[in-house]
Amino acid sequence: MSQPTRASTDPQHELLLEVEGLRKRWPDGRLVLDGIDLTVSRADVVVILGPNGSGKSTLLRCLNGLEDYQEGRLRLRGVEVSRGHPAGHVATRSEQAALVALRQRVGMVFQQLHLFPHLDALHNVMLGPLHVQRRTRAAAREVAVAALRKVGLEAEAGQLPGELSGGQQQRVAIARALAMSPEILLFDEPTSALDPLLVREVFKVIRRLVYEDAMTMLLITHDLDFARDVADRILWMDAGRIVVSGTPEEVFRSAHPLVKRFLEP
Amino acid sequence: MRRPGQPTRARASRRSPGSARLRSRPWHPARGRGRLPADTLRRVKRRRLGSSRALASGIVASVLVAFLGARAAPPDVASGESAGLPPIVDRAPLAPPGTSLRRIQDEGVLRWGVDPAGGAPFAMPDPSDPRRLVGFEIELVERLCEHLGVRSEPVPADWLALIDNMKAGRTDLALNGIEASAERARVVDFTAPYYRYGEQLTVRAADRERYRSLDDLRGRRISVLNGSAAVEVLQRAGFRESEIVQYDDSLAPYVELANGRVDGSLAESIIAGYYAASMPELYSIPRTFAPGEYAGAVRKGEHELLAALDAALARMKADGELGRIYQRWGIWSAEQEQLGIVRGPDAEKVALASAASTSGLAWGPVLRELAVATGATVLLTAIAMPLAIVAGLGLALMDRSRRSALAWPARLYIQGVRGTPLLVQIFLVYYTLPVLGKTIGFGDALVWPAFAVGILCLAGNYAAYEAEIHRAGLEAVPKGQREAALALGMTSRQSLRLIELPQSFRIILPPILNDLVAMIKDTSLVYVIGVRELTAVALGLGKARLIVPQMLVVAAVFYLVVSVLADALGRRLEARLRRRGTPSVPLEPGHPHSGALPAQ
Repeated sequence: MSQPTRASTDPQHELLLEVEGLRKRWPDGRLVLDGIDLTVSRADVVVILGPNGSGKSTLLRCLNGLEDYQEGRLRLRGVEVSRGHPAGHVATRSEQAALVALRQRVGMVFQQLHLFPHLDALHNVMLGPLHVQRRTRAAAREVAVAALRKVGLEAEAGQLPGELSGGQQQRVAIARALAMSPEILLFDEPTSALDPLLVREVFKVIRRLVYEDAMTMLLITHDLDFARDVADRILWMDAGRIVVSGTPEEVFRSAHPLVKRFLEP
Repeated sequence: MRRPGQPTRARASRRSPGSARLRSRPWHPARGRGRLPADTLRRVKRRRLGSSRALASGIVASVLVAFLGARAAPPDVASGESAGLPPIVDRAPLAPPGTSLRRIQDEGVLRWGVDPAGGAPFAMPDPSDPRRLVGFEIELVERLCEHLGVRSEPVPADWLALIDNMKAGRTDLALNGIEASAERARVVDFTAPYYRYGEQLTVRAADRERYRSLDDLRGRRISVLNGSAAVEVLQRAGFRESEIVQYDDSLAPYVELANGRVDGSLAESIIAGYYAASMPELYSIPRTFAPGEYAGAVRKGEHELLAALDAALARMKADGELGRIYQRWGIWSAEQEQLGIVRGPDAEKVALASAASTSGLAWGPVLRELAVATGATVLLTAIAMPLAIVAGLGLALMDRSRRSALAWPARLYIQGVRGTPLLVQIFLVYYTLPVLGKTIGFGDALVWPAFAVGILCLAGNYAAYEAEIHRAGLEAVPKGQREAALALGMTSRQSLRLIELPQSFRIILPPILNDLVAMIKDTSLVYVIGVRELTAVALGLGKARLIVPQMLVVAAVFYLVVSVLADALGRRLEARLRRRGTPSVPLEPGHPHSGALPAQ
């Protein structure tokens, strides 16, 4: 598919996220991330591929502070926002505050949707602007409605999550993340939990964010076609390492045995 | 859920219909062996545990005994404060020792402890107006107060609590058939004795020729009031434990005698005179023996108060005023002259005939009393349950905390409270709170009125159960919910307040409503510390009229109605939370509530 007016062709190519030597062990000692180095520039779309258990999700969760890690550090626009701590470290108050601040700048969409079931779509989306950004109710509503419009669900604003289809729910989740105006959006297999028939609508929304809004994003997926479609860069992970990295063409032409095995029919 | 009171309640309801004196007669000479708690334990031990002296069992048993001691209507009319709600809250002033007389005179009121469940002729609710107390002791103290120039305000409490209440400062005098003994005089100061009694033997009228004395009954079974002086008298006379049949109230020994289960019954002359005399098939042998004396008790060191009371008593004895009271109540005997009591002018006897049946019973005032008491029951629940839910949440959050300094005490509290009976907790808190306050330097700040103690105990007890419910509820909220909230940039606290608690609350609403209904019924337990709730008032009214079963049925219906109403309200709330529509989230930032309840 052609990529006519991608904003990622932005000449300045401002450096947004830098990951440096990130290393994480599970409490039982297993190494799950083994020295990840990664940079993401503004409007970059980075797709992470790789087998299950390769550490993709954990990497994403480290990036927005849902998981801690033992070594390495994370910079956002050149400023350190988190760093590794030895196992057993209890976050100090200021570290916790830094994490909260980080998460407000980094949006996340989960595989398992995780909408708040007791709130309708509008209030799911409003919650962040209202309580985290402390906007007025009117302003929060305005932001939320705009975000829902973005994902094409303005009409469903009053529905509870249980009344929406899986695809619609995931779109609400995307709107919920968008409403916080994140600098970078993380997608953790956003369609894996969905009925195949519903996958398309979610991809459509993500695609629109890429092509219309030049959203910076890191996306985990198993859908190679979609990866090829939206990615500026693809990272191939295995056993906690990035084994292949490059443009979609480079990666899919890679001779790396793991990639080849994966790509074989 | 826990039902600490059930066995005892079942007992209470099995009682014979005619027992106006359901509870054991307080403090008989046999029990006068030392400090109060020991009295209590001994008394209980003898009744329930045979020779066992296990302390723990003793405490539990004493609680049961006290529980059986029914509460009855407090004399708010006597105190002139009958307007509005019943005086479920007693007050607790306590000045430095030795100054009580001055304070009493300043306030113009003498608060004194009495157990209205003690029954006739000591003190009981007036059958024609249950808000009033009548009895020879009520009259005696009223006259005493007249001499002191103050008003008499009887503070109703379980008999076992009379001394503790007085020592805690809730009252200044305890006067209710308390036997003056040297042992007990180490703990309190006694006034001059005001009545001299003896033990009196009762047999079936048909046997009056066959059994003329205790000796004639050797080897036979004799019924007594449990733990009463009669027990020791019989033991000294060589009767075996198996031959001494003890009952919980004053009437039962005579009923059993009439039924033929025993061949004799031994009790204090006052009791025999009142109860045995009302049964024509029984005959009480006139000669009494093993005498003892009743006296009022005041705190140690209150010399001025004691002197004033003794002076007034002496005058009443000398001028026939006291003698006249005894004559009116039918308890005059020649022995009273040994206490210096002069026989007064002949007086018309007090008629309590209306106490004997439901005929002519005025249901209007009775139902009104029960309705007011139901209000107290509802109020107890309405205050205690929200407190329990909030405190339970606090405990659950502490319990979940990774900081062991928080988690450990919460765990300990939850286990401790759930592992002990509510009834024991109520007694423990009621009696130890004032002591605790003094020990930790709060003075009288912790001498809480019974109603407040009742709320504290119910809330504190249920909080442990609600904590477990909250814990389960919070665990039932999927972990991803918290992650999604955190990913939005919420703080941990915001996630809890806005996301986890509202969802948890929907999950735990049914079990919480279940506990609400349970608590409505558990409020009945606080009657043991003198709170005038539904059970207390029903028992009091029933005993005053000798229609306990009828009153209990009425009370049960009241409980049922309240429970069903609470249940219906709860179901509506559940349905509302299930219903789709406006979400129940607070829309203003920083709103203090978790948004668990619908806004509309």
